[in-house]
Amino acid sequence: MNAPAPTPAPNAPQATAAHPAVEGTPAQRFLRDAAAKSADLVHREIIRKNMESYDAAHLRGRSRFKDWEAARRRCQEIKREAVNHLDKYLLQFEANVLAHGGHVFWAEDSAQACAYVCSLAERHKVKTVVKSKSMVTEEIELASALEKLGIAVWETDLGEYIVQLRHEPPYHIVTPAMHLNRKQIGDLFREKLEPGLSDDPVELMAAARRKLRQAFFAAEMGISGANFIVADAGAIAISTNEGNGRLTTSVPRIHVAVTGIEKVIPRLQDLATLWPVLATSGTGQPITTYGTLIGGPRRPGEADGPEEFHVVLLDNGRSRLLANGEEREVLHCIRCGACLNACPVYRHVGGHTYGTIYPGPIGSVLTPHLRGPEFDHLSFASSLCGACTSVCPVRIDLHHHLLHNRRDSVQADHAEGGQRLMFRLWRAAMLRPWLYSWGGRLGRLGLRTLYGLGLAGTFLDPLREWNRRRAPVPLPRRSFRAQWKRENRK
Amino acid sequence: MSDTQKPGVPGAPAFGATGWKPGRDRILERIRAGLRAAPPSVAAVPPTESTIFEPVSNPRERFQQEAKANLMECLPATDAAASAQNLAQVLDSLPPGEIFVQDAPALRRLLEGVRTARAIRWSSQGAPSEASQATLTLARALIAQTGSVFVTASCGGRGASVVAPCHIVYATADQLVPDLEAALAGAAREGVLNEQSFACVISGSSRTADIEKILVQGAHGPRRLVVILEEHS
Repeated sequence: MNAPAPTPAPNAPQATAAHPAVEGTPAQRFLRDAAAKSADLVHREIIRKNMESYDAAHLRGRSRFKDWEAARRRCQEIKREAVNHLDKYLLQFEANVLAHGGHVFWAEDSAQACAYVCSLAERHKVKTVVKSKSMVTEEIELASALEKLGIAVWETDLGEYIVQLRHEPPYHIVTPAMHLNRKQIGDLFREKLEPGLSDDPVELMAAARRKLRQAFFAAEMGISGANFIVADAGAIAISTNEGNGRLTTSVPRIHVAVTGIEKVIPRLQDLATLWPVLATSGTGQPITTYGTLIGGPRRPGEADGPEEFHVVLLDNGRSRLLANGEEREVLHCIRCGACLNACPVYRHVGGHTYGTIYPGPIGSVLTPHLRGPEFDHLSFASSLCGACTSVCPVRIDLHHHLLHNRRDSVQADHAEGGQRLMFRLWRAAMLRPWLYSWGGRLGRLGLRTLYGLGLAGTFLDPLREWNRRRAPVPLPRRSFRAQWKRENRK
Repeated sequence: MSDTQKPGVPGAPAFGATGWKPGRDRILERIRAGLRAAPPSVAAVPPTESTIFEPVSNPRERFQQEAKANLMECLPATDAAASAQNLAQVLDSLPPGEIFVQDAPALRRLLEGVRTARAIRWSSQGAPSEASQATLTLARALIAQTGSVFVTASCGGRGASVVAPCHIVYATADQLVPDLEAALAGAAREGVLNEQSFACVISGSSRTADIEKILVQGAHGPRRLVVILEEHS
């Protein structure tokens, strides 16, 4: 461990998904950011290219299975069995890890999880932490908790490192820097790492490798997540391509894995289906480069490995979902990101607009349950096309869960006053054809007058969000019903 | 957080089960209450006859194919002498510097047939140094279905397959298993993770596609993964 000490790690993000610096409620921010992002042509082009590349790889990956649907059913059954016997499998996992010489801590919420890891870091006088990608550590904001103690925290996944240098939350749960092109990343690296770099991805990766190698060999603590926790083996399973997860869990003296309680699976052999399915759904690969299993600290006689191994099992609202039979299957999610990639809303508004750790359809389903009714609006930001459900590798009925959330939100009276009034008027009109017809007539007249005066897209225009960035919606002279009658008379 | 919830000394035998017990018990109570409160929303999926993956008929050929697709180098060898020759060629292609070798009789024998001036660090001396140019290890098994190398902590430790820019694996054809299912079932049967702290299914060199989905080899781990596949053990 003679590598030179790294320069201080990038500062904690100034505005995180959980603590945005901008004004307004989450719903207001969502509307504002969605309108801005969907009109951002550079962003749209970057996402289009990324998604096209993913779509092609995903299709190729699926064709490698003899029966992709059978694989999805198998994964669904594995997760169904695990989640419906969650206590049994978690206890089995815990007993095995303890027998291997590891430690298991059960955290009810973010505060407990962070306090545990921070106290561990303080006790071991940790100055540098290396992290491999973990959405759960983003959820509990572990990096900023450690940074408050003066500990340098290095994200080591290339995408995570890029967004950390930009003080941004991850854009996507699998590809955190999907929203950036090589030019933007080149500019960032030239400013923060080495001035002479080109925009070549090979050169940019090499620069990050050089920098992060120093961190790996200086760090006293490595923090990872876990894609799965395997009950019968008493091991965590981590899938990574870059090898940063390998170094994080091999080189530092202490390894802490932070993971949600729902990640448990019953048997080691279950990975024979889950690993290829996760890789195919996540990136289109047949299998991720490193499928790592870690069951404890370094054993006597082993050449290397951490002296201590800690697993933090996080609840943070997950056990509440268990009590809701209708929503329980949301806990089957393996965080592959396939539903984000398939979602037309995600593709247009982008990952940061959600203002949540988990964006896209799964985020819209999950976040209101984890963070409360101020995120109810996300369930309404969907066309309900069902693309998410059709790609989900564990067959979660995502678009119906969005509908359940909408229903629950309305029944719990979480809708805003203006929205409630709108729907009351809409309902009244739908029940009275004459009122609907007059309303339409008035609306067309009003809009024609407004547009005739050149006021399209101004604050007076009820369709301003649409018209501000597009040619005004052409207004028909007659209503659909009038046109229909006319056609049928001919 | 209350004082009773503060952790005890890490390393104490029942640290995970006693020091922070209230949280653990409350979570388990909530889980059990939740499971009692509602039946599963999804019906059990009946097992089907359908096979998920095409059975592997020719493991050796399939492994070579998949290894190539994974951007690995698979060097077939008819006997130990040919393996040593392959190893010598790989070592000659690397920049000068130390190599790290799993301390195993098979690898000591193999290296006897290779003339190299390089310093050798054996796994019995500890972890690989960051400056190692290559690591040489055995594998627990080779997986044909995915073109993967299955290693455990006994294959030179955790760093042996990730620290150096080149990882060379010396394996024999009788180590081939048809698929992941067989590899993992074998590991479960033999209690590999009860005996060892680490195992890994490695399918190619380290890589990333985080920038514009462009594949870059050699991210944080090896740029090259070479398998010397000897016909007979």
